[in-house]
Amino acid sequence: MTQAGPLTLTPSSSLAPASGWLAQIGTFVLLAVVGLLVLPPLLYLAAAALKAGELGAVTIGSLVGLAAMTLSLATLATIWAMLLALPLAWLVIRTDLPFRNLCQWLAVIPLAIPSYIGAMSYIALLGPVGSVNTWLSSLIGAPQQWVNIYGFWGGVFVLGLFTYPYIFLLVSAALEATNPSIEETARSLGESPLGVFRRVTLPMLRPSILAGGLLAFLYALSDFGSPSLLRVQVFTTAIYHQLNTRFDQAAAALLSFVLVLITIAVLVGQQMLLHRRSYVTITGTARLARPLHLGRWRWPAALLVGAVLGLSVFIPLGVLLAQTGSVGHFLEVVREQGDYIKNSLLLAGLAATLAVILGLLIAFTARHTPPRTDALLSGTIQIGYAIPGTVLGLSLILLYNTYVPWLYGTVGVLVVAYLIRFLTQSVQGVDAALAGINPHLEEAARSLAASPWRVLRRILAPLVRPTLFAVWALVFISAMKELDATLLLRPAGFDTLPVRVYIHTVEAEYARAAVMALLLIAFTALPWMVVTRLREKKLV
Amino acid sequence: MASAASAKIEGRVVRVVLAGVLFAFVAGLLPATADAADRLVIYSGRKEKAIKPVVDEFTKQTGIRVDLKVGKTSGLANEIRMEKAHQRGDLYISTESGIVEILTKEGLLDPYQSVAIKAVPADFRSAAGTWTGISGRARIILYNKNLVPEKDVPRSIFELTNPTWKGKLAIAGTRERTTLAWATALVAVKGETFTRDYLKGLHANDLKILTDNTEVWQGVGRGEFAIGLTNSPNYYLARQANLPVGVVYPDQESGGFGTPVNPNAVAVIKGAANPEAARKFIDFLLSPDGQRILVTQDYEIPLIAGVDSSEVPPLQSIKRTAVTAQRLADLEEATLKLLTSLNPNW
Repeated sequence: MTQAGPLTLTPSSSLAPASGWLAQIGTFVLLAVVGLLVLPPLLYLAAAALKAGELGAVTIGSLVGLAAMTLSLATLATIWAMLLALPLAWLVIRTDLPFRNLCQWLAVIPLAIPSYIGAMSYIALLGPVGSVNTWLSSLIGAPQQWVNIYGFWGGVFVLGLFTYPYIFLLVSAALEATNPSIEETARSLGESPLGVFRRVTLPMLRPSILAGGLLAFLYALSDFGSPSLLRVQVFTTAIYHQLNTRFDQAAAALLSFVLVLITIAVLVGQQMLLHRRSYVTITGTARLARPLHLGRWRWPAALLVGAVLGLSVFIPLGVLLAQTGSVGHFLEVVREQGDYIKNSLLLAGLAATLAVILGLLIAFTARHTPPRTDALLSGTIQIGYAIPGTVLGLSLILLYNTYVPWLYGTVGVLVVAYLIRFLTQSVQGVDAALAGINPHLEEAARSLAASPWRVLRRILAPLVRPTLFAVWALVFISAMKELDATLLLRPAGFDTLPVRVYIHTVEAEYARAAVMALLLIAFTALPWMVVTRLREKKLV
Repeated sequence: MASAASAKIEGRVVRVVLAGVLFAFVAGLLPATADAADRLVIYSGRKEKAIKPVVDEFTKQTGIRVDLKVGKTSGLANEIRMEKAHQRGDLYISTESGIVEILTKEGLLDPYQSVAIKAVPADFRSAAGTWTGISGRARIILYNKNLVPEKDVPRSIFELTNPTWKGKLAIAGTRERTTLAWATALVAVKGETFTRDYLKGLHANDLKILTDNTEVWQGVGRGEFAIGLTNSPNYYLARQANLPVGVVYPDQESGGFGTPVNPNAVAVIKGAANPEAARKFIDFLLSPDGQRILVTQDYEIPLIAGVDSSEVPPLQSIKRTAVTAQRLADLEEATLKLLTSLNPNW
């Protein structure tokens, strides 16, 4: 992450296509695997959408309304997430903020908190009859509603709070990797600190802000739990509604298809924004930035960081802890439901490992395929992220139960679902890291007659290793939290932690739900902690 | 130099450990995927809290092991439809009867008759013998005692269009099957025009449509709403949570609309791998042991004469809306259209 050095700003160019029949077969196999993974559910969706003759409650008017609501929710949540993430990343990486290492670690924790759990704790706190309203009313002695988390703005608030780490992770990594000497030079040339940030730092961070923003945006677009809990009508809640009240799945398929089309438009837009300019700044030796002295701004800055972490980490965890009841109860639930911890860890670990291996192979292959194939490949993978979990679950039931019955009914089908949904996180991450490596390195190795496999194993993989671990943790976290598809695809008797949280919540056993939620968060955060620790000690 | 070498060794150790953990992952997954064939697989829309104790007792008495998959009644029905080519479940438990009628029409259920099933009143089991009720829940008016003085408590659902209740009413949307069954019963007995006007009256009173019945009883219990339209067990759940609630079984006067009683239904899935075990489980559910656990676990109304209903009013004491499950299934689609034309949130 900290390989910066003598600065080179080289426009990145695509590499020569891979030669040799072995490499071509490899490319073909990879394309086939990705195609077989992602395309069938998409085609099923398209076919079902086209069959939708009569649409029941779905009219053009309601479709436009839904699209407007969904897009504004996702857009505002992303902006809110950026506002939270940018100052945090800059303060933590570039200044002498107190407890900056601790803060850097804590800032990622909200990713381990599923947004539906976040929404639940904020409803308990800021709902019409939540703690805050009850407390304020008892102060003045008359019941009155001061705050109400339900609705559009509550949705924006909660989604931003639990997606900002996507942006924080990528931006702080970019801040670590880019060379501070450019900024120092600008400052020595008389630019004000704000000017340096606006005219030097921000443009350098643009790709990572956009990539992180995209992840946050897509999450908000496809999230079902928090809008449903906070009573916001968006595509995912409408799809769920269609699926669960009427059994004609045409309307649900049509709605999902529109959502996928919107996502494609967003992805194309992002590609156009990114490809306008790109720089390679990673070269050889390391040089760490000297932290900027905040001086009298040190404690106000700490207060700001504390507020962000308070809203996104301490408040939800505090509410959950308060709901668990006694320590005895906590331990009893843990003993009783220990199996589900194992199920979740096994499943998410397997999915993350496969996603990293596939992601590395795909990103490497994509470097050597013509740009159009590359765009098709990564586009296909990204669309998988946009299929709502419930719809993906139902389409996989039909497809896999009919054509691959030996896989369906096992945890294998869950791994497939997780790969379809989260492979893009791995491909994007690895791709971005590979893009930062000077192509001359690879060309030099190739000119010395190293095979593509050897280049990947001996040169590229070691260089992007920190990213591989980060990506593993990212996919692991996403897989640990997955609920919608898991609910449908899990074999009977094989529940995961989010499924348990869901069941206990639906059955209004909040103390149990809170214990399971805390376990889920702990076991999601744990691998992240281990990976960061190992990286600090340079063990991996 | 020495520290670099030791770090290298340490790094190798870490890698070996990581590989070992990964191997354990994969090895640990295998048993979960095998030996599922000899187990009874139950898809339950009924709460785990209510059904798990019965399942445990069944396993204890018969030695038949059970894999339980708990979900939403409608979601699991969708799953059964999708799994038609190769059914994975043996037994389906729903919270309402219209949905098992729909599955019967699609030919997804296997008929089963037994002495135990014949003890269930005829209007709580399938005419085709494909499903049977196991316990019941009545539609009720739930009210907050702090917000509604005893003298103002409504005795009829038709009073709720009165402007005094404006902004104070809540109900779950139709993703709760019992809400849809309630509205369909209105259409069946009172006709579509009457029902439309009545629902319009409720909407004029800003009826709030919530996600599920849990939100309804909690909203009423905590005082977000004065009145909720929901199912009878929810009154006991709210009381258990020490919330100040009261209950009305509405429209009980002679000649009145009565109130719908929805059975929780159970059915054998056609193409099940273990139909024998599934049938045994149905008979167990209807046995004195099964009924006792089922009824006391979640305050449900016993359907079989002679089963003690404890503090829940027995079936005979409730004036039920006269409508059959088949009629409800036939009118469901039209009712859904009516509801969504009035408000998309239904």
